[in-house]
Amino acid sequence: MNSSQSSEGTFKAPLYPESEASIILPKRGASPSSSISSLPYRRSNQSLSTVFASTSNLTHSARSSGTSTPVGAPAPASTSSPGPLNGTAAPVVNTQGRLDDPRNVLLRSFAPHVGVLASTDTEEILHQKGFPGGFLEIIRPFGESVPGKVNIRNGVGASTSWDDFGIHFTGLKDTLGSPRPTSGRSSLDRRTDSGNGRLSGSTARSSLGLAPVGGDVAQIEEVVDRHLAFAELAGPSPDTDYMNHKEKEKGKEAEVVGPKPPDAASPFYSLYLKRLLSALPMTPHETFSHPVACVIAISSRNPHPIEELRRLYNSTNNGDDRLPQWVNNEFLRYYVLVHNEDDDDISKSTALYEQMKRHFGLHCHLLRVHSRHCVPTDDDSKRLPVSEWISAAEELAEIQKREEADDDSDSTPLLFESDCAGIRTFVRELVVQSIIPSMERMMAQWNETVATRRRGLGGRLMSLSKRWTPFGSSTSRNASSPVPGSSNSNYDSLQGFYRPDAPEAVMRKLADYAFMLRDYKLAGSTYELLRTDFEADKAWKYYAGANEMAAVSKLLNMQAMTTKLRQESIDRMLEGATHSYIHRCNSPFYALRSLAMNMELLKLRGFSAADDAAEWAGKILHYELVGAVGSALFRERISACYTSRQGVGGMAIGARVRKAAFYSVLAADGFLKLGKTVQAEKCIGEATKLYGSTSKEVLAFDGMRSFLDELRESIIGSRLMYPRYEDEDTHASDEEGEPVVEEVKEELDKRVHRHSLIGVSVPLDPLGVGPAPMSPVRTRDDNPLHEDDKFS
Amino acid sequence: MSFYLAIIGTKDNPLFEHEFGTSKQGGDGVARFREEQRHMNQFIVHSSLDIVEEVQWGTGSMYLKHIDRYTNHYISAFLTAGNIKFLLLSCPDTHSTSSSSARGASSASSARSSAYTSTAFNPTSPAIEEATKNFFLEVYDAWVKTIMNPFYQVNMPVRSPVFKGRVAGAAKKYL
Repeated sequence: MNSSQSSEGTFKAPLYPESEASIILPKRGASPSSSISSLPYRRSNQSLSTVFASTSNLTHSARSSGTSTPVGAPAPASTSSPGPLNGTAAPVVNTQGRLDDPRNVLLRSFAPHVGVLASTDTEEILHQKGFPGGFLEIIRPFGESVPGKVNIRNGVGASTSWDDFGIHFTGLKDTLGSPRPTSGRSSLDRRTDSGNGRLSGSTARSSLGLAPVGGDVAQIEEVVDRHLAFAELAGPSPDTDYMNHKEKEKGKEAEVVGPKPPDAASPFYSLYLKRLLSALPMTPHETFSHPVACVIAISSRNPHPIEELRRLYNSTNNGDDRLPQWVNNEFLRYYVLVHNEDDDDISKSTALYEQMKRHFGLHCHLLRVHSRHCVPTDDDSKRLPVSEWISAAEELAEIQKREEADDDSDSTPLLFESDCAGIRTFVRELVVQSIIPSMERMMAQWNETVATRRRGLGGRLMSLSKRWTPFGSSTSRNASSPVPGSSNSNYDSLQGFYRPDAPEAVMRKLADYAFMLRDYKLAGSTYELLRTDFEADKAWKYYAGANEMAAVSKLLNMQAMTTKLRQESIDRMLEGATHSYIHRCNSPFYALRSLAMNMELLKLRGFSAADDAAEWAGKILHYELVGAVGSALFRERISACYTSRQGVGGMAIGARVRKAAFYSVLAADGFLKLGKTVQAEKCIGEATKLYGSTSKEVLAFDGMRSFLDELRESIIGSRLMYPRYEDEDTHASDEEGEPVVEEVKEELDKRVHRHSLIGVSVPLDPLGVGPAPMSPVRTRDDNPLHEDDKFS
Repeated sequence: MSFYLAIIGTKDNPLFEHEFGTSKQGGDGVARFREEQRHMNQFIVHSSLDIVEEVQWGTGSMYLKHIDRYTNHYISAFLTAGNIKFLLLSCPDTHSTSSSSARGASSASSARSSAYTSTAFNPTSPAIEEATKNFFLEVYDAWVKTIMNPFYQVNMPVRSPVFKGRVAGAAKKYL
């Protein structure tokens, strides 16, 4: 395998086959797909395939820490008991094991954000260790899943335990979307610089110099496009291919992987969703990316540790690291002493740690790491896990970096096993002993002081009187009056935010905290209250945000919901959210986010809710919130929505097979236009399967049939354009088992072509009632007459 | 405003297809589907059969009204006693809403039939429902007379020019 050549050469300028490639046809008899699958796939260099590991399954062996261990998928519900009939039942959640399931992606993406602030000496130690990203880089992957179960008490005091709870470490001001005044970590700047070459013009904001903020659809598209291109290079992958999935089931992998449910998300879609939800930018209207806590780190190397800690603490309050005024600054500060195992004395560090505890209270930790550079030959070296929730820009930069690197070796930094264990302990302690208790405490406090009062009778009267008061200036009713302060509302319409101590802002924070701690009941009811408040204040972005999250938390709440109720509440909320996001605030990213999330959640409820899900996903396409890649992926997803809607009874009334197939065809068309033949083929196969399963005759519409054939031919044609399939004739026809797609195609071709009479000038028939075959007048006689005579 | 009528047999097979434009508001009765839209129409109509099969159990009448929508294509349905489906796809303008690139090409036609712009068109308005219903009834009338031909068997495509002429006449009269 000349791996380096194939990857370096083709990757920089991917030669996407154009549509005229369809002229080149394969030789008869040589089924192209069989020959392709027999080719040895060429893995590109090791370090690149690590980046693409999330979507390709070629590299399972390459990755030591398999976070995405495939667990046996749940068996599809039997047809005799279709379960939720009207979409009224609670969603069936049997997806605990699958981390990439959209619902789990959603749950884990809204995790508390923890800012990280490290002193220069700490960063030095870690640079020395081989982590250019410093303290943040080394702890970030470990925050994403806290080891062990995490117990969380909800609003009423009942406690639930979660396996997959995590937090997101970010630089304190990273997600702010503005250039950092102090470049504490040089790595970020370097990474962005390397990424700038690839970034498209529309991403001007991030190319200003700050990568780790998400929320840019163009970048998400590009990342997914890169993954798709990689999958294209790797060829049809052995596991997920529809063509041989039956053989696979019989084979040795059946017990490991099991058949995928038909409506499972493709890895590319999961990636899209993940990038959509990761590194949410810090904005006034929602507080998910506002820090819940801040980790302040110093090292044992520092000569004046306590002073340094104080200095860092102060800088978060009024110095360079002070967040904008719409961020509630009363978050938890957590102090970490990084002890250098190799150079410094542990007894001194312990003494310092004791001193820290006396000064700063209990929220302290002593983290012991080696400062030596870890090399692969070390006994207990471990690769730093890949951070799952990096922003699209960061991932692009990473891909770029690895493509430019000449060597084949994996450039992921290594660290010692003992360091890993230390960091894991640190994260667990931070989450379980500090962050969650403090969040619970804050929630209880806010709930008592603000929300309960607002919920009570008095609060309602208050808000009513505030709105309808006849006294005072006439502007008091109109919150959008340009003079702040003169109105009764707390909304500062000039600058467009609530001050963090305003009751509305506190309630939003309460709801967001509840959401992050997965108390969807409290979150939902609080968002509901906020909706009306924000609407009265004409704070449209806040209003859209509250609507969005109210719908999401309603759907996440494991409660059965009647169709009528769902249509009344969820549809109205979503309508409000998308309308406000798109038309009033001009922030299509958030509209896309809310539609995508709600689509996924509705889909889980099945039946008529799945119909709604498809409809909302259609809105994503309608408003053109996504680019070419996204629209192909979402079409595929709509198809999955329709597939998940099972029919009732023997006649399968209410099934949406044809619609699902239609959207699969659309997706295939979209992928083909992008030159992604592997995905296109997958979609076409899905469509063929669905069209075949309607139990009627196969595709009697000639236009549809010819379109499908055209798509297939251009897939094959663009395959042939590809240099790596040049020598396929040598491999042809030594493969046992004709691929399914070929069979079905022949089946389609067997049918007699029927030509409609559209556009054909037919001479007058004096009787005028006879079906045409008996009439000798045929203007378009491509097929001989006797073929038609069969049935007359 | 362009229309596409498909008569679909019991095995999802097309028995009759016809395209025409509106004759109301100064339309010239010519369909303005682009070439690549022809097969899309078939796809859309075919996918609407799912809805027909669900809706048909919930109503006693043969006219199922407006049942489905794909972007700006609206589909009305009529079900005969012999389980033959008449599906009428109406498309306000060929491609006016989303694709702005194609707007220039179609501006001439959209100017002529500006009364039926995509925003103004409402398939559930009583006038349009009534017109569609009358159209379907007349087509049904012609259909029954046509398939009474003793040589006709179920699911055979109909190529009779007289039937075609009657459909065109009905279209001119009502749509």
